[in-house]
Amino acid sequence: MPQPQPAAGPPSDAALIAAWRGGDEQAAAELVRRHARALARFLAGAGASEADLDDLVQMAFIRAFRAVDRFRGQCRFRTWLLTIGGNVLKDHGRRAARHQVVPLDEELRARDGDPQERAEAGEAEARLSAGLERLPRLQREVFLLRAQQGFEYAEIAAALETTEGAARVHYHHAVKRLKEWLL
Amino acid sequence: MNEDNDATLHELAGGIGRRAAERLDVEATAQAVIEQLRQARRASRWSWMQPAWLQIAAAIVVLLGGALTVRTVSRGGGDTSEHDVAHFVTDDLSDLSTEQLAEVLSTLDQTLDAGGTMLPETGLEDLDAQQLRAVLRSLEG
Repeated sequence: MPQPQPAAGPPSDAALIAAWRGGDEQAAAELVRRHARALARFLAGAGASEADLDDLVQMAFIRAFRAVDRFRGQCRFRTWLLTIGGNVLKDHGRRAARHQVVPLDEELRARDGDPQERAEAGEAEARLSAGLERLPRLQREVFLLRAQQGFEYAEIAAALETTEGAARVHYHHAVKRLKEWLL
Repeated sequence: MNEDNDATLHELAGGIGRRAAERLDVEATAQAVIEQLRQARRASRWSWMQPAWLQIAAAIVVLLGGALTVRTVSRGGGDTSEHDVAHFVTDDLSDLSTEQLAEVLSTLDQTLDAGGTMLPETGLEDLDAQQLRAVLRSLEG
């Protein structure tokens, strides 16, 4: 009696990365489909305006694919990609000279999108966005990787090339400050 | 209490950027990324090719220059060329009058005196045209 063939699941990120290294463009496209929304959420949380989001997502993917030889599986591809996204956002902020703290009211006006949707997003979320922008970059990124993306400290530490203990410290400093400002 | 606060923060953080991310056209983003990667690859290939083209062009120039030099040397270095020059000078001498020949020789006399070469003791004015031509030919070697 023939054994049923196990259903072939979707290829892993590692398999897609290997295929991309071999020149398979569709593998790269599949990686974009998998991780683009998570990257967009991370960038939006880190302060990217919605008008810039599409460009920033593209730039982060392009930078990641061009540097993919440096990715050695020390963490998940998504975690690595998000840290690259953080660097892209930082460079973009430098270029645009928009790396400044803005009061909450101005922040709300400056953001794109439907005002009705903004109102629905709730004041607390808007205040958290403003609070995140006041955090030092590393604290903000560690907080987002942990709280928004749900990564473990070890994963975050590997992606940011720091220690797990340092990642914990950054996270707790971020939470402490955000609580002071928001809650 | 702290755990509640943490949970609230996590919940809020999870919501940040969600609507913006949902509005992202993922398929268009994927295609745009692929197109930009293609362009970068093409540009990179071209920048690799440029030095190769320059090297090929430089090699062609060197080869052509070398070939021209060899050709010029092989044509200009033989006995035939010397014979042509002597023939040319002789033809010129035949066309000159006695006065003109004497003038040429006196100019030569001054030049050769400066270089230490001796001409016949007899004055040039005493020589006829045939003798003058003979002196000039002897100077040609």
